[in-house]
Amino acid sequence: MASDKPSTLTANEKCILLALNKVKSADPQKLAAESGLQIDAAMQAAFLLAKKGLANIVEETIVLYSPTPEGELYARQGLPELRIIAYAEGKPTPLIKLKNTFSDKEISIALGWLKQKGLASIEKRGKETVITPLKTHKKYPPEEVLHYLLAHHPETLTSYPSTTIQELVGRDLIRCTERTSRVIAITNEGRKLVRKGIEIGEDLGQLTPDLIRSGEWRKKRLRPYDIHASSTRIFAAKKHPYQRLLDEMRQICLEMGFEEIKGSHIQTSFWNFDALFQPQDHPAREMQDTFYLDSKGKLPGEYVQNVKEMHEHGGDIGSTGWSGHWSEELAKTNVLRTHTTAITIKYLADNPNPPVKVFCIGRVYRREAIDATHLPEFEQLEGVVMDEGVSFKNLLGCLAEFYHRVGFKDVRFRPGYFPYTEPSVEPEVYVPELGWIELGGAGIFRQEVTAPLGIEHPVLAWGLGVGRLAMLRLGLRDLRDIYAPDIDWLRRYPACQL
Amino acid sequence: MPVITLQYDDLKKLVGTDKDTILKHIPMIGADIERIEDTYADVEFFPDRPDLFSVEGVARAMRGFLGIETGLRKYDVKKSNMSIIIEKSVKLIRPCLACAVVRGLHFNSASIESLMALQEDLHWGLGRNRKKVSIGVHDISKVKPPFVYKAVDPNTEFVPLDFDKKMSMRTILKEHPKGVRFAHMLEGVNRYPLIVDSGDNVLSFPPIINGTLTAVTEETTDMFIEVTGMDASVAMALNIVVTALAERGAKIESVEIISDGKSAFTPDLSPTSRELSIGEVNSLLGLTLDAKQIVRELEKMRFGATVKGEAIEVAIPAYRADILHNWDLIEDVAIGYGFDKFKPELPETATIGRAHPIEDKLALLREIMVGLGFLEVTTFTLTNERVHFDMMKRTQANVTKVKHPISEEHTMIRCTILPNLMGVLSRNKHVEMQQKIFEVGDVIVDSKDMQKLAGVSTHSTANFAEVKSVVESMLKELGLEYEIAESNDPAFLEGRRASILVKKKSVGVFGEIHPDVILNFGLDHPVVAFEIGVC
Repeated sequence: MASDKPSTLTANEKCILLALNKVKSADPQKLAAESGLQIDAAMQAAFLLAKKGLANIVEETIVLYSPTPEGELYARQGLPELRIIAYAEGKPTPLIKLKNTFSDKEISIALGWLKQKGLASIEKRGKETVITPLKTHKKYPPEEVLHYLLAHHPETLTSYPSTTIQELVGRDLIRCTERTSRVIAITNEGRKLVRKGIEIGEDLGQLTPDLIRSGEWRKKRLRPYDIHASSTRIFAAKKHPYQRLLDEMRQICLEMGFEEIKGSHIQTSFWNFDALFQPQDHPAREMQDTFYLDSKGKLPGEYVQNVKEMHEHGGDIGSTGWSGHWSEELAKTNVLRTHTTAITIKYLADNPNPPVKVFCIGRVYRREAIDATHLPEFEQLEGVVMDEGVSFKNLLGCLAEFYHRVGFKDVRFRPGYFPYTEPSVEPEVYVPELGWIELGGAGIFRQEVTAPLGIEHPVLAWGLGVGRLAMLRLGLRDLRDIYAPDIDWLRRYPACQL
Repeated sequence: MPVITLQYDDLKKLVGTDKDTILKHIPMIGADIERIEDTYADVEFFPDRPDLFSVEGVARAMRGFLGIETGLRKYDVKKSNMSIIIEKSVKLIRPCLACAVVRGLHFNSASIESLMALQEDLHWGLGRNRKKVSIGVHDISKVKPPFVYKAVDPNTEFVPLDFDKKMSMRTILKEHPKGVRFAHMLEGVNRYPLIVDSGDNVLSFPPIINGTLTAVTEETTDMFIEVTGMDASVAMALNIVVTALAERGAKIESVEIISDGKSAFTPDLSPTSRELSIGEVNSLLGLTLDAKQIVRELEKMRFGATVKGEAIEVAIPAYRADILHNWDLIEDVAIGYGFDKFKPELPETATIGRAHPIEDKLALLREIMVGLGFLEVTTFTLTNERVHFDMMKRTQANVTKVKHPISEEHTMIRCTILPNLMGVLSRNKHVEMQQKIFEVGDVIVDSKDMQKLAGVSTHSTANFAEVKSVVESMLKELGLEYEIAESNDPAFLEGRRASILVKKKSVGVFGEIHPDVILNFGLDHPVVAFEIGVC
């Protein structure tokens, strides 16, 4: 990443480069002193220069030595072996005599070293031990080291023989510590750049209106940014991904020519069940599956008698009906709508003239215990087409088109069962990772449903729970995540993933 | 929905082809394969087809669908010379009865289990949990006809199934597991139904439990079947059971039912008849089948079918409970034809798509809120009074309550969104500040649907000035003329809260959330909020 443009260097970098050019290489302290910057700033600039290939930073570990207290003492007094030699003044000296001047400890230390180094002969003469210095020494390296360290410690001992250092460490007269030091040197690239000329001026961090207006910015230098440095995260405000999916569904329905309808969350059992030919003793109507309310609603007078007759005897369309008694009171009971079909059927009853193509996306309620795939409320999408002469084949056509637009290339159909449609069909879509997935349900409204409401033409209807689709499209494992927002997840979920 | 276990060995024998062919085609007659194991498959059938709740019934249908044996299946019914009298006493309690005798059975433990499973599924489906239909099967060698169906004193004693000592019917309802489970069906009745033989031996205590005397075992070859209930579905249930047994070669015999001095014989396995117009079939399905083809598809579905001019006379087997109307037959034509053979075709209906104005408005609100830097969230509309009012320091208002909530958390429908947003903040306490969220959606006020928009912002320096600027920006974007007035909403801090008035009417509120409310939701940063009714 060598850079050959001085202009991309900050003021500090230029300063350091010039300092290095002068001294070739330096440790941080020296570099700071030379450049006039603080050590931290100097090193920061040095690292940036190194990144650009203009400087080299070599790290080395150096060993520093200091005298121990005993070593310091000997550095001042002299080492015991040297003092004894000095005392003997070259003559054989009986040990007993030394004891007047030296301690037993000093004598025992000195004897060992004198003998080992051949500085003196030690002989028994009768009952006496006599020490005779062998030669007068000029230099004794251990002593020189001790003297040096006394003046400079901690310091490296690179100019002393390692045997001497080992001996002193072994005698516990000096100790070592390690220190990592950096050496910063200029590279050839750096030198070349300096030769081209570097001008030191004050860098600007921020362009200001004043600078722009005055034209001052032309004279100053704007400090370049490190484009790779990490930036501060901003959390983009956005729509909920699930809402985005609902909007997409809505858009598809609109493009297919459907008109959107809405209706109340509170419905009478009449519109939610009875108008759809759901027998009054049907298990789905029991309180363990449906949220009943305390209130009762008004029944649409014009249809009540027809619906009653259809349930009890099958009206006049050749149906058997459900037989038994149909209760108006039960039909008045309000429920939280269990499907959007309550809305579409009422719309069809109010608009019996063909053609009708409407859709509804809305919250529906089921009395279900909450788990990863069951919720007491969720969005349902439903579309109906009512027109003269429309057929089962057309229903499959709508389904195929819809699912293709949602993004499923392969769609297939199996027989299904829904209480208010006949024929009924279960569409399945192919998901590469999962295989064929059942998605939604469809059928043609039974005549038992349409006839009592004065609807004379076939009604093609299909619906699906959007949650299931959300699991496929948003990669959710748990439907609860849609309605129990995790702000962190929402922030991280990219808007374009859909 | 009922899940039937199909043992491959049994199924292969009954259908007459290999298991892979069967499993491949089963979904196309209307079923969901739940799981496939080495020796069996579990298959879920639809509740309107109780005739498929047994392996025998499934085999009968598959033989037709695969073309192995098509058309109406005929079953012989001989008279058994056995009778049962329905006494008046039982008419007000459980009036309907249908019986049959089945001979020449060769049970093993698997086929007994399958019969029990069929009974249970019929109890669930047709029987609405035994309310409408309950079935009892009995080893006929242990009892002597004629039988009597009557209502008796609850202190009457007999030995029920699964027990070895006599118990009174009253005790059975309190102590027998089946009694405990179904006792509610005899609430408010002071005499209980009972079926006995000529020697007063108890066959069953419908719809609760049979006597142990007539228990069916692997040794049983001849069986008496009684179905009691509230309406004509008893006959259908009986037909389904006896025809399933006949599929294994058993012989069906009828029983004389004597009631009010009149006599009738059950089961009646004669088919019912419907006339199907060829034109109606084709117009509903969008096909152009000729009469012969329609006959062929119906026969595949085990109907009898003969061409009669422009119509087809269809003979419907006595075990089909789902044929209420001609369109039910047309669906079977479509299934016989094969759903996979249809060529989907869009209807020609030309219409123009149009979004609902409310949805258009909500989309606009989302756009504005996102522009103001708020993240959208979605929450349940089901909530509870504690969160909705108490934790918000608000007094409880008249709301839409559900009658049988699933938990204490979901007892009512929200009339405001703000408490939900406080809930969201409390769940996201650990998430990096600043948090700015909004929701726009449905609420129910005075039993009417309404749409509201609410937003909250929380961080260490959130204040009234911030939320006021958000609210005013939003109102200006909506082009609303508004006024700001003093508010007394206890969820907000006094002196730091305001109402939004449009045409002198309060439509919303904003300000700094009261510290007590902040603490109630387990939070500790200042929260500013607003909520406004939008549609």
